[in-house]
Amino acid sequence: MTLRQGIAAATLAALAVAVIPAWACGDSLGASTKRIESAQWLLVYRSTPEPIPVGRHFTLDFELCPRAGATLPADLRVDAQMPEHRHGMNYRPSIVSPRAGLYRAEGLMFHMPGRWELVFELRDAKAAPQRLVQSLQVG
Amino acid sequence: MKRTLLAAVLALLLGGAQAEPVPSPLSNDDIPRILAFGPWPPPPVRDPSNRVSGQPAAIAWGAALFTDARLARGQALACASCHQPQRGFSDGQPVAQGLERGTRNTSGLMDIGQQRWFGWDGANDNLWAQSLRPLIDPREMGGSLASVATTVREHADLRDGYRRAFGTAPGGDDERVAVDVAKALAAYQETLVSARTPFDDFRDTLQRGDRAGIAAYPLPAQRGLALFLGRGRCYVCHAGPAFSNGEFHDVGVPFFVAKGQVDAGRHAGISGLKASRYNLLGSFNDDATRASATSTRHVVQEHRHFGEFKVPSLRNLAATAPYMHNGSQRTLREVLRHYSELDENRLHADGESILVPLRLTPGETDDLLAFLDSLNPAR
Repeated sequence: MTLRQGIAAATLAALAVAVIPAWACGDSLGASTKRIESAQWLLVYRSTPEPIPVGRHFTLDFELCPRAGATLPADLRVDAQMPEHRHGMNYRPSIVSPRAGLYRAEGLMFHMPGRWELVFELRDAKAAPQRLVQSLQVG
Repeated sequence: MKRTLLAAVLALLLGGAQAEPVPSPLSNDDIPRILAFGPWPPPPVRDPSNRVSGQPAAIAWGAALFTDARLARGQALACASCHQPQRGFSDGQPVAQGLERGTRNTSGLMDIGQQRWFGWDGANDNLWAQSLRPLIDPREMGGSLASVATTVREHADLRDGYRRAFGTAPGGDDERVAVDVAKALAAYQETLVSARTPFDDFRDTLQRGDRAGIAAYPLPAQRGLALFLGRGRCYVCHAGPAFSNGEFHDVGVPFFVAKGQVDAGRHAGISGLKASRYNLLGSFNDDATRASATSTRHVVQEHRHFGEFKVPSLRNLAATAPYMHNGSQRTLREVLRHYSELDENRLHADGESILVPLRLTPGETDDLLAFLDSLNPAR
């Protein structure tokens, strides 16, 4: 094992320890959180502002907590669509991760009132992307 | 029962116990959507990207510059030549006529400080860049960065106006001086806020629960509002206090401008935005945090944006005919006929599925016109 590989392994181990267990998932986000659950994941998020306004940018702070032996994905994307209108947002959010499992997505905007599907797509080189989806009525 | 509240209120107000109740076309479910069209006027705008936004000296100089033909090539015209106050700061022509004939309708400027994107294609993300564009566009005022800066430096009254607005004499950097001229023009335009309307009074009576004010809003306008919120689904794009979501849509208006020429609308606008030296990601943004650049940083360009144009505000429409991005509809009745008889074949195959021909009856058209008329200041 090279020095670089050693540092990477140690970092991953530290991150694995730092991942929040499902029972405490989202505790750091405060009140007014929403949850999306699957067999492998619990995702807790909070929007700012809340409720999400029509035609204004909002941010999402969210925590992703693995279940059933899952590990955090290498890549994560946030998107949204209006299925009834067959279009998505006019903006592509950017995501930063202040620590393992905790994320902030910026630049989202729901530019129309109606039903939106908020999509968190978890990507990993070893498996097909997984989607965590929540339907929201906006405006 | 959804109609109980408004029906009861109207029954009380329009005749009391002796009269037949007058059923309101609006329902309780409509009330949150009606309230979302206000309050009006909105709080004053301060643009963080413009260091003289909201400053009286810059507003005063911007107002003077707005009518000053010295900024144009050959002193041929001023901003106010096309943005005429008595026409809601539009020009009454189908398409703009600067030094050359344009291809798009001259937008009114009322409430422009509330906008996120500027121009029918949103090619600018701030009002000062949008104000600089006609000064140096050869088809409009035909100047250049150098000619604008030189004009300011060479005339004592303009030098003095610059100094009062910016606290220093105009420097030797032509581009910097020309952008500052545009920032003063923007500071002035931010003050153009349309007056309250009968609809605003109606909306506020609903918010206050003040039953006395509701009956003052005519029933035809109420029926038009019900259609706007209901079968017409107009509120989906014409959302918020300005009756616009500030974004871009294809509503089936042809985008051919001449044989073999098309107006690509928002698709080209995003290309122009990203290429512009004057967008909010650039060095002329006075907001050091760049927090004002969120939209520019995240906007995406997709094929569906081809032929999309900005959703206009519905306030103050009586002053700003003709309508649509190409000025192709002379009256609001013609606009409603467009939506009534919408040619779905003109819409993108991968576009939105929200638009369908409304097949309005003559009475429904009159009701929608009554509602739109209530979005003009009381006369």
